[in-house]
Amino acid sequence: MKRVVVTGIGVVTPIGSGRETFWNGLLAGVSGIGPVTSFDTSAFPVHIGAEVHGFAPEMHLRRLNPATTGRASQFAAAAARMALADAGLDPERLDRKRTGVSMGTTSGEPVYIEEYNNIRKAEGADAIPGDMMPRYPCHVIPTHIAMELDIHGPCLMIPTACAAGNYAIGYGFDVIRTGRADMMLSGGADAFSRITYMGFSRLGAIAPERCRPFDRNRKGMVPGEGAAVLVLEPLDKAKARGATIYAEVLGYGVSCDSHHMTAAHPAGDGAIRAMTAALKESKVSRDDVSYISAHGTGTPTNDRVESLAVSTLFESRAREVPMSSIKSMLGHTMGAASAMEAAACSLALSTGWVPPTINHEQPDPEYDLDYVPNKARRIDPRIVLNNAYAFGGNNASLCLARHED
Amino acid sequence: MNDRVAVTAAGVISAIGAGSETFGCNLESGRSASAPSERFPGVTVAEITDFNPQPWLGAKGIRVLDRSARLLAVAAKMALDESGLSQENAETGDPNLGLVCGTVFGSLHSITSFDWSGIEEGPAWVNPMEFPNTVINAPAGQAAIKHKLRGVNSTVCAGLASGLFAIHYAAEFLRFGRARALLAGGVEELCEESVRGFAKTGVISRSGVARPFGVERDGVVPGEGSALWMLETEEAAADRGRTPWLEVLGFGCAQDAHSINGFDLRGEGATEALRQALANTGISPEQIACIVSSASGSRAGDEMEARALERVFGPQLPDVPICAPKAAFGEVMGASGAFCALVAGLSLQRQAIPPTAGYASDSVRLQLSPAGIPISGEYALVNAFGCDGNNASLVIRLWEN
Repeated sequence: MKRVVVTGIGVVTPIGSGRETFWNGLLAGVSGIGPVTSFDTSAFPVHIGAEVHGFAPEMHLRRLNPATTGRASQFAAAAARMALADAGLDPERLDRKRTGVSMGTTSGEPVYIEEYNNIRKAEGADAIPGDMMPRYPCHVIPTHIAMELDIHGPCLMIPTACAAGNYAIGYGFDVIRTGRADMMLSGGADAFSRITYMGFSRLGAIAPERCRPFDRNRKGMVPGEGAAVLVLEPLDKAKARGATIYAEVLGYGVSCDSHHMTAAHPAGDGAIRAMTAALKESKVSRDDVSYISAHGTGTPTNDRVESLAVSTLFESRAREVPMSSIKSMLGHTMGAASAMEAAACSLALSTGWVPPTINHEQPDPEYDLDYVPNKARRIDPRIVLNNAYAFGGNNASLCLARHED
Repeated sequence: MNDRVAVTAAGVISAIGAGSETFGCNLESGRSASAPSERFPGVTVAEITDFNPQPWLGAKGIRVLDRSARLLAVAAKMALDESGLSQENAETGDPNLGLVCGTVFGSLHSITSFDWSGIEEGPAWVNPMEFPNTVINAPAGQAAIKHKLRGVNSTVCAGLASGLFAIHYAAEFLRFGRARALLAGGVEELCEESVRGFAKTGVISRSGVARPFGVERDGVVPGEGSALWMLETEEAAADRGRTPWLEVLGFGCAQDAHSINGFDLRGEGATEALRQALANTGISPEQIACIVSSASGSRAGDEMEARALERVFGPQLPDVPICAPKAAFGEVMGASGAFCALVAGLSLQRQAIPPTAGYASDSVRLQLSPAGIPISGEYALVNAFGCDGNNASLVIRLWEN
C-alpha cells in the first residue's frame, strides 16, 4: 500500500485564517474566545464562544454563490482553496477524476434548521421556502468543496460529531493508500449554531469565562466554529512534484464506548482502545510517541478521563509525553476540531514546536501530566497522536510522523 | 490485508415489511407501499405504519431513542440474531464488532424539535435529555449502546448513495483488519421536516405512483426504514463455522460536482461509478446477471441512470434483467443503497429478480418487468445515484468457497 503524506494546510479558525496566522497564533498562545455575536445570549447563563470574525466568503469562493451556500460549507470551501494554494497546486489543473474530498462535521448546515423554525414561528410552516431543507444535510459540505473546485473523485461526509475530523482524514488516508485517488482534501467544518450552544449550555458544559483544559479549576468547554482541510497525497507523487511535506499519516484507530451518548466511559475504555489501535496500525510502539494532541475540551469529565486513559496506556512514561489542548485557544470547533488539531500536529512535526495549553494555572492533583502549560515548546517530535472523542461514544486517534525517507 | 468480505446475515424494516423473508416475499408480489400518509396529510409516502419496536427491543430503555435510532436498532437486532453475533448475554460487548450507518437526514426531527422548544420555552428550559439525539451520529451511537457494539462505529453521508458507501466503508475496515464483524447499511425516517422539504421542492409524485423509467413518471414517493448487512472477514466467519451468504466485491464512486439538489443529466459520475465497480471486480458488463437500479420515478434521475447504463452496457442493455425496487418501498434516501443491495442479494439467492412495482410498459429501453424475471449468472450490480451529485455502484455475488 502507498505511503500517505500531508502536503497542504488550509484553515479558517477563531484565531484567523491560513496556515501561518494559525500556527503563529497557536505558538504565541492567542485566544479566539470572546463574547458571542452570532445571536443574542441574554437568555443563556453563559455568553462566550469561539467564533470566526470577519470571514468574507466572496474573498475565497469563485464558483459557489455565498448567498445559497451555508456557513460551514463556505468555511470548508475556503479552507480547501487555501490548502491547495499552500500545497503549491493550481486548482484549475488538478486531475479531476483522481481528486476527492472527505469531511467531518457535527451539525452540517444547522442555520437552515434555525431558519426553518424562525419562519415557522413568525409566519407559519406554509411560508417555509422549498429550497431550504435540501441545503441542510451534512453531505452538502464535501459536495460544495467538489463543486467549488470541480473535482469528481470519492466524496464523503463522516458526521461522527466531535471526532469527525479524524474520521475524515482517516478515510482520505484509506482512499489514497489503496490507490482509489491520487489526492484527497480531508478535514472538518462546523458553523456556530444556537442549537449546539443551547445544548451544551443546558448540559452545564460551557465555561463561563475561559477555556482551561486540564486545570484544576476548569469549568467547561467553549463552542467554536471553523474549518480545516489537509491535502493528502501519496508520498511518491508528492516527492515527484517537489512538494513540501509536513507529515506522514501512519494510521488511525477508532472505537465505540457503547456506554453513554454524552458521557465518556469512566475508565476511558474506548479512548484507550482507539489509541492502541492507532499505534498498532501505524506499527509504532507507545514508547515512540513524542507528543499527544489532546481532545482536551476543558470539561471536568473529559479531561479527567483523557488523562486517565493516557496514564493507563503509557504507564510510567505518561508524564514524559507532552500533551496539550489547542481548544484552550480555539474553543471546541466541533467536527472541525480534530482536523485543526491534525493540522497543528503536522506543523509540530515539520517545525519541531508544540503549541501550549493556555490558561493553565493550577495543576490538577488527580492527574498531573505534562500539558505544555502556557508556553510553546520545542521538542522536535517524531511520532504524534491526535485524539478525538465524540457524542455517541465515537473515538478516533490519528497517528502522524515526521517525514523521513 | 483480508481480501474477502462476507455477508452473513441481514436485518430490514421497511414499508413493505420487516425481516428479509417478508421483505423479499412482498417484493415478489409486486406490491407497493405507496399510500396517502397517515402522519403527513396530503402527501403520498411509503411509511411504516404503527411502528412498534418493542417486539425486537423490549420496553426498557427505548424511550430516549428517536424514530431513526429505533428503526436502526431494530434492523441491527435482526441481523445480530440471524448472524449469531448478538451480545445480549455478554457482560461487555465484543470490541471487534461494530456498526457503519449511512443516513441523509438522520436526526433532523430531533434537531428541529430541540431548537423549537428553545424558541417556545427558552434555552433554559429545553430538555437536556433530548440534546444527545441532535447529533447526526446519534442513531449509530444509540444502537451501539443498545446492542453493546464496542468496535468501529461510524456514520457516513453521501446523499442518496450513503447506504452503498456505508457497505464499502465497512468492507474496507474489515480488509484493513480494524474489525472482524460490522453491521453496515443505512437508516432514514420520514418526519414532518423532510416530507415538507420533499413536497416543496416538487419531487414527490403527484399521481402517488412512482413509475421508474416510465415515460409518464411524475416523481418519487419518499420512504423510510433501515436495512443492514452483517459483514465479516472470511476468517471471522470461518472461525465461527458460518457459511456466508454473499460476497461484497468491487465498488465505484464519483461526484458530479454539479449541484447539491439536481441530477446532472450527463451522467458522467454515474458512468464512472459503474465502470469502477466492474473494473474493481475484474469483470465485464456481460457478466452481470441483474441490475438493481437507483431509479425512483424521478424525471431527471431515471433518465440520468438510463443514459449511464446505456453507455456502459451498450446495445446489450435490454437483455439485462433490471429491478427498480424504490417503487415498492419508496426513496429511503440514506438507506436506499442498503435496501437495493439487499434486493440484489435476495435476487441472487432466488435466481430471479423481483418485479418492478409501478412498471410502465413504455419503459422500453430497459428490461423491467411487472413480473419476476429469472436470472442466470454470478454477479449482481447495485446502483445508488443521487441528486446531490454522489454516485455509487457495487457488485456482489453469492458466496463460493
